[in-house]
Amino acid sequence: MAIDFTFTEEQEFFRQTVRDAVNRLIMPRVKELDEKEEFPWDLWKDFAGLGYLGLRHKEQYGGMETDTLMQMIFYEELARGSCGFSMSATMQILMGTYFIARFGNEEMKQRVLVPAIRGEKIGTICFTEDQSGSDLGGTRTLATKVDGGWRINGRKQWITNGPIAEFATVMTTVDPKLGLKGLNFFLVEKKTPQRDGFVPGQKLHKLGSRCSVTGELVLDNVFVPDENLLGEEVGKGVQYAGEILNEVRVMTGMNALAISKEAMEDAKQYANNRIAFGNPISKFQLIREKFAKFWAWYEASRTFLYRCAWMIQSNIPCTNECMLAKYHATEMCMVAVEEAMRIYGGNAFCSEYPVQRFWRDAKFLLYGGGTHEVLCDYLGRMYCKD
Amino acid sequence: MKWGVSMPNEIWILAEQQDGKVKKIVLELLSAAIDFSKKTGQEVSALLLGSGLGESVKNLSPFADKIYLLDDPSLIPYTSDLFLTSIASLVKEHQPSILLGGATSTGKDLFPRLAMHLQTGYVPDCTGLSMGEDGKLTAMRPLFGGKVFAEMAFSGAGPQMATVRNNTFLVNDKPDRTAKVISVSPQIDPATIKKTVTGFEKAAGAKLDITEADIVVAAGRGIKAPENFKIMEDLADAINASVGTTRATVDEGWRDLKDQIGKSGKNISAKLYMAFGISGAIHHVLGIGTCKTVVAVDKDPNALIFNYADYGIVGDLFQIVPALTEELKKVLSTE
Amino acid sequence: MEIYVLVKQVPDPEAIVKVKSDLELEIENKYFTSFFDEIAVEAGLKLKEKFGGKVTVLTVDNRKVDALRRGISMGADDAVQIADPALEGSDQFAIARTLSAYLKDKPFDLILTGRQAMDDDAGIVGPAVAECLGIPHVHSIIGLEVDDQKREAKVVREVENGKEHLMCPLPALFTCQKGLNTPRIPLVMNVMKAMKTQIKKIDLASLGLSQEDVGSQAVRVKVQRYLPPPKRPSVKMIKEDFPDNVKTLVKLLREEAKVI
Repeated sequence: MAIDFTFTEEQEFFRQTVRDAVNRLIMPRVKELDEKEEFPWDLWKDFAGLGYLGLRHKEQYGGMETDTLMQMIFYEELARGSCGFSMSATMQILMGTYFIARFGNEEMKQRVLVPAIRGEKIGTICFTEDQSGSDLGGTRTLATKVDGGWRINGRKQWITNGPIAEFATVMTTVDPKLGLKGLNFFLVEKKTPQRDGFVPGQKLHKLGSRCSVTGELVLDNVFVPDENLLGEEVGKGVQYAGEILNEVRVMTGMNALAISKEAMEDAKQYANNRIAFGNPISKFQLIREKFAKFWAWYEASRTFLYRCAWMIQSNIPCTNECMLAKYHATEMCMVAVEEAMRIYGGNAFCSEYPVQRFWRDAKFLLYGGGTHEVLCDYLGRMYCKD
Repeated sequence: MKWGVSMPNEIWILAEQQDGKVKKIVLELLSAAIDFSKKTGQEVSALLLGSGLGESVKNLSPFADKIYLLDDPSLIPYTSDLFLTSIASLVKEHQPSILLGGATSTGKDLFPRLAMHLQTGYVPDCTGLSMGEDGKLTAMRPLFGGKVFAEMAFSGAGPQMATVRNNTFLVNDKPDRTAKVISVSPQIDPATIKKTVTGFEKAAGAKLDITEADIVVAAGRGIKAPENFKIMEDLADAINASVGTTRATVDEGWRDLKDQIGKSGKNISAKLYMAFGISGAIHHVLGIGTCKTVVAVDKDPNALIFNYADYGIVGDLFQIVPALTEELKKVLSTE
Repeated sequence: MEIYVLVKQVPDPEAIVKVKSDLELEIENKYFTSFFDEIAVEAGLKLKEKFGGKVTVLTVDNRKVDALRRGISMGADDAVQIADPALEGSDQFAIARTLSAYLKDKPFDLILTGRQAMDDDAGIVGPAVAECLGIPHVHSIIGLEVDDQKREAKVVREVENGKEHLMCPLPALFTCQKGLNTPRIPLVMNVMKAMKTQIKKIDLASLGLSQEDVGSQAVRVKVQRYLPPPKRPSVKMIKEDFPDNVKTLVKLLREEAKVI
C-alpha cells in the first residue's frame, strides 16, 4: 500500500485555520474589494500580521518553513476569498521573494526579505514585456555590465503589485540574440532620491482579480551593484526560473480549484432555490448535468494537483505533470464559471450576484505560468516525441 | 390515574417577575400546567420569589392552586446564589414532580445549576411539552440551532425540570383557579451569598426584548444605513412590536447585539415575525424557526427568506415599510 | 492567574445536520470550535496578558482534539483532553461531573466557557461545573474586569431588558456571550506550534470516576426520537402591485393568520 490520499490531522487543522482566517478577514469584503479596484492596505496589514507571508521562508528571517503540501493547502483556501488578494499575496510569498531568499546576500535579506515577510515592503517579479511573456527568449530588457555593477534598461508589463512594489526581481538579458541562454534575474528596488531604481508606470484596469494592482515598471538606465545579480553565474536565468515554475503552476491550479468550487457552490444554492415551472431548477436534468460534469472534473483536477504538490515536495521531476495539472485545472475552472453563469440565467449578467465576479476572476488564471496555447504546443510536442 | 391512592406531586412553575409584574411566559406555563393537570389531577403551583409582590400574587392567583411566596428584599434582584438555596430546600421538602421556568436569562442561569444540585433531569430551551397519563413529561427542543429537533423523555426520580421558550403555549383567557398563598420564609444564609448586583443599565426605549415580544419586525443590511432604522421603529410602534436585526448590521455597529436574531444572537419565538430586506442566510433563519407566522419582504424574488415565510412580497422595503405602518395604524384605529 | 477554559469541537454552523433515524443524526463532517468557547479562550488570554499566569484549555471528547489545538493556536499554554470509552452517551451533567473531577484539585482562579455549545445548544455544562465545584457562576457575560489583588471580578450579564452589573469573588466560573470580545485570529507561528503540541490525555480512572458516574446509564434525560424541524406551509406570495399588496398583507395577517 504505497498510495495514500488522506490529509493528516495536522494538515486538516491547518486548512481549517486558514479557512477560518479567510472567512473572517476576507469573505465579508469580497464585493467591496472587487468594486473598489484598490489595493487593500488594511487587509494586507492584518493578514501579514498573522505571519502567512513567511510560509515558505526560513525561520531566521521570520518565516515558517512549511512544506509544499501545506503551502498548497494554504493557496487553495486563500483563493476562496478574493482572487485579487490571493494574487498579491502569492506574488509576495512565492515569486516575489524566492530569488532573493535563494541568491541574495545576508544584508539584502535583512533589507528586503525580512520586511517583505512582515508585509512592510511589497515585492514582485517581472517577466512580461510588450513582445515577450510566455516566450521568455524574447526578453528585451537589457542588462549591461559596467564597473562595479550593471545598467538595466527596459519596460516590464503586467506586473502584479507593480504600482505598489518596493522591490522587484527583474528578468533581463545580456544580449537578446542569445535567447533563453542570455537571461538573468536582478534585484531592483524602487527609485528614491538616494538610490537608483525602477519607476512604476501606469496602473491597469482589469476585467477581474481587481484588488491586486497591476501595472508597468520602467527601468531607465538603472544602476544596480554586482551583488544584485540573483544567480551564481550569468546566463542561467531560465534554469532558475524553472525552479519555481512548478510551484507557480500548481499554485495557479489551486486558485482554479477554489474559484470553480465557490462558483458552483453558489450556483448550487441558487439552483436549489430558484423556482421555474413549479420546481427548483436543480430538479431539471440539464441543470444537474452541469453539476455532475463539474464535480467529475473538479475531483480529477484536485487529485492531480495534490499529486503534483507531493511530487514537488518529494523532489520527483514533474515539470510536465505540473503543466498538465495547471492546464487541466484552469480549463476546468473556465467551464465551471461558464456553467455557473448559465445556471444563473439572466441574473448572471448583473453585479447583484457574485457569479459574474467568479467568471471575471477566473480568466486571469489563463495567463500565469504560460498561456495554454504555448503550454499545449509544448506538451503536445513532448507527447509525440519518439 | 388512581385517585386517593398516590396523588402525583405538584407541578411547579417558577414565577419570574420584573418590577413586581409577572412575566408573560409564566402565565403561558401555568396555563399549560393547568391543561396537564386535567389529565393527571396534579395541583399547579407558582413559585414566587422577590419582594413587594402584591400585584404578582394578584396576576397569578387565577392561574394556580397554590402560590409559594418567598418575600424577602434580598431576593431582588435575582442572583443564582439565593434563588438556588431557597428553591432547593423547598423542592426537597415538597418534592414537586415537575419544575418549569421560562427560557429567559434567569432561567438559563439558574435551572442547569439547580438541576445539578438536585441531581435531576433538565431539558433546556423547550419549544414544546406534553404530558403523559403517567405524569411523565415529553419535551421538544431544537438542536444545532434548529436544524433538527429532539423529543426528550425523563428518567429517574426527582422533579422533571425544563425551561421553555416564549409563545410555546397560549395564555388561558378564562383562568378559573384561586390560589392559596403559602408564605415561606426563604433560606437566607449570608454565607451562601457570593455575588452582588451592583448596577443595571436599562436598554434604551421601552420595547420588550426580542425574545419576549409577541411581534418582532426586523431589517438587515438591505436598510443601507443605521439611521434608516427609524422606519422600522415607526412600524414597531404602530403594532407594539420590537425591532430585531441580522448579524451583518450588528457587525457593522449599526444595531445593538441584544437585537441580533440567529445563530450567534437570539432565537425568537414571536407570534408574528416580519423580515424586511433580509436575504435569509441560514444563521438568521435558524433563529426564527419557531415563530408562528413569518412575513418576508425583499426585492430579490429568489431570496432564500421566502422559503421560510408564510407570506411574501417582492418589493422595496423603503416603499413597503412606511405604507405598511400607515395601513396598520388605519385599521387598528378603527377598532 | 490560573485560568481554565472549557472548549468543545462542534459541527460547523454551515454543516448539514439531518435526521437519519429515530435515534440517529447524520452530521456533515465539517467541524469548528464552538464560537462562544473561542470568546472564552480570548477572555482568558486577555487576562493572562494583563496579569500573567497560564491558560489551559480542557475538553471532554473521545475523538476530536481540534478545539484544544485551536486554543493553543490562539495562545493557550496547555491543553488537556479527557477521553474514555465509558464516556460515550454521556449527558451534559456527566460531562460536568467529569470536568469537575479534573478541576477540583487544580489551583484555578477562573474557569471560562461559552454560553452554550453550538451543537446541543444546552448551556448546562458551565453552571453545572460551578455547582460541582461550589464556586459562583454568572451565565452569558458580555463584560469582564478582574481585580487580581482583591480577587474579585466585575462582570456584565446580558438580561432581557438591559445589562446587569455584578461583583463576583474569585474563583468563579463565567459563561461567555458574543459581545465580550472578538476572538483573535491565530498567528501561523502558533498554528504550527499547535499542530505539534502533545495533548495530555486523561482517563476516568485517573479522575477517580467509575463507569456508573458517566455514559448512557447515568443520563436522566434521554432522546426519544429526533425529528426534522416542523415544516412551514409553502409561502403565499402576494403578487399585487404596490400599494394593494400592503393592504392584502394586512388583511391576511388579521383575517387568516389572526396575529394582529
